Amino acid sequence: MKLILLLFLGQVAPVEVRAFDTPYDAGGSITIIWEMDTAWVAKVSRIGIFRASAPGLQDSLIETLYKPDSVYVDNSAKDNVPYYYRIVVYSDDTLIAEGKTASAAVSTQQWFNGKRLSVLIILIIYTVFLLYFIMRARTNKNLYIRKIAGLEAIDEAVGRSTEMGRPIVYIMGLGYISDIPTVASLAILKRVAYKAAEYNAEVVVPCYDPIVMVAAQETVKEGFVEAGRPDLYKESDIYYLTSDQFGYAAGVDGIMMRQKPGAVFLQGYFYAESLILAETGHSIGAIQISGTTAVTQLPFFIASTDYTLIGEEMYAASAYLSRDALSLGTIKGEDYIKMILVVVILIGALMESAGIRILTDFFSIF
Amino acid sequence: MKKEVPLAITFISGLLLVLALFIPHKPFGNLEEIFNDWFIIVSGFTLLLGIDSLLGYNFHKIKRKDKDAPFALILILSFFITLAWGIIEILRTPEHNPFSPSSTFSLYFYNYIFIPLQSTMFAILSFFIASAAYRAFRAKEINSALLLVSAVLVMLGRVPLGQDAAPYVISVIFLIFAVYFYAESTGITETRTKLIYILVALIFVALIYPLGWVYFKKHIPEFADWLMNIPQMAGKRGIMIGIALGGIAMSIRIILGIERTYMK
Repeated sequence: MKLILLLFLGQVAPVEVRAFDTPYDAGGSITIIWEMDTAWVAKVSRIGIFRASAPGLQDSLIETLYKPDSVYVDNSAKDNVPYYYRIVVYSDDTLIAEGKTASAAVSTQQWFNGKRLSVLIILIIYTVFLLYFIMRARTNKNLYIRKIAGLEAIDEAVGRSTEMGRPIVYIMGLGYISDIPTVASLAILKRVAYKAAEYNAEVVVPCYDPIVMVAAQETVKEGFVEAGRPDLYKESDIYYLTSDQFGYAAGVDGIMMRQKPGAVFLQGYFYAESLILAETGHSIGAIQISGTTAVTQLPFFIASTDYTLIGEEMYAASAYLSRDALSLGTIKGEDYIKMILVVVILIGALMESAGIRILTDFFSIF
Repeated sequence: MKKEVPLAITFISGLLLVLALFIPHKPFGNLEEIFNDWFIIVSGFTLLLGIDSLLGYNFHKIKRKDKDAPFALILILSFFITLAWGIIEILRTPEHNPFSPSSTFSLYFYNYIFIPLQSTMFAILSFFIASAAYRAFRAKEINSALLLVSAVLVMLGRVPLGQDAAPYVISVIFLIFAVYFYAESTGITETRTKLIYILVALIFVALIYPLGWVYFKKHIPEFADWLMNIPQMAGKRGIMIGIALGGIAMSIRIILGIERTYMK
């Protein structure tokens, strides 16, 4: 009604426009917000955003929006330069509303991202816990860690493979060296290599990534050296296959079908190829120990392999296998912080159910 | 020095990236981007290492007259034919990049060799899902039985004819359970346990109509969604929180130099 009246009178409605430095950013950005009358929303055909660097200067069009938005982020702003904005709202070709910013908006860089305050607080508490348990581990070497069946079975798998006179195939998935599951997988590979060297077994590691291949070669070599059998180490057994997902799956399946390994380790980050690999391993009768942090692939591994390291168990592997007191300390700290988080989640669920959103807002980082 | 320098680089890089998460101001704000660019550049060069390893491994197989030698030969021939094809294309039409996605060479290779091979591998997955599901759903113990029932309910709730088929499928499942408990009860001598088994069998029979023909006939899609959104999601989030915490602990171990398996 208001709009029809304004159109009838040939008048342009005022729009309240505010522009301010986009908070918690690396500069170069100004946020402009304006109030859109709900009666106009259906009528708006385009909104023009104009910018000038001084109040008296001629402004220029920087963006046209074709939907009734009420916010625009100008990412072309320069730091420490004042900008004045003007918004024009059209219904078809008729100007129906216009508004200007009263004061200049200046973009600056911030030194702290306040949206991530909750993350920082949790990280500090977590780090303090971990450091405390690392310090405690220095004095008390006998920290208890529950048994992880998948890791206990490593020796059995290597032993069984040796008895059968077959090689061991170790698959590190599609992760890169920058992925934490790949680093965790290297720790397990070292143990496998150590045991294989003790039993005089062959370890075959087909790799998806060349850097992971080099890291795997060094890890296996170190395992053989630690076992006192560097002479048994064969660099050619750890090789690059391909960086294509299904090409890699086909290649590894081929290796498994031809070499018939006695034990297959699937440790790392996997995608859709996980089940193809695990089922092929099952079909040749190999004992299989899998582990991944890819939640979507875990059910496949649980269904197809003999032992599965579920998520964090994989990260605990290096500490568990090395029995290094400092590493065990971090696992202990992790357990305590997990308990605290469970309590926080329960309190949060209760507060949310009661309509109190303090915790939810605190943890909203976006 | 062989260990100290890499450890120092890891510590400084790790710490800087943690700081970058909280400080948007330059030079911290775009640090992750810079580090990623460096990583991409370095990893691009390492592909040469990969090619060297791949060709070396397969040449060695041919030289040894290994039983896999024919496969190795196919791989080497494919590699060099692809390379030669690309070089010839460059020489014939220097203005066209033969490795760009729009070139004839790349399109031919991609559409007629690469895509069919990939599709073939991906298609195998459907058969593997069936075989893995068969093993996982064998109701040998209470956990597997629960898994089987949940899977059946979710499948019924998510397939087009599931709602119509639900009462029949549920009737059959409940009858199987009823027969199983009754059959088990015949071998039990203790009266109290025997009665419990018979009672459970009767409960299954009694539940067929109210659950199968009244509740699930109407609400099976909602029930499947509830199963996926509440119990399944709760378990999944538990694992994900554990993974996130484990990841942080692992990262701290790496930054502090406690975890060193990635280096020599």
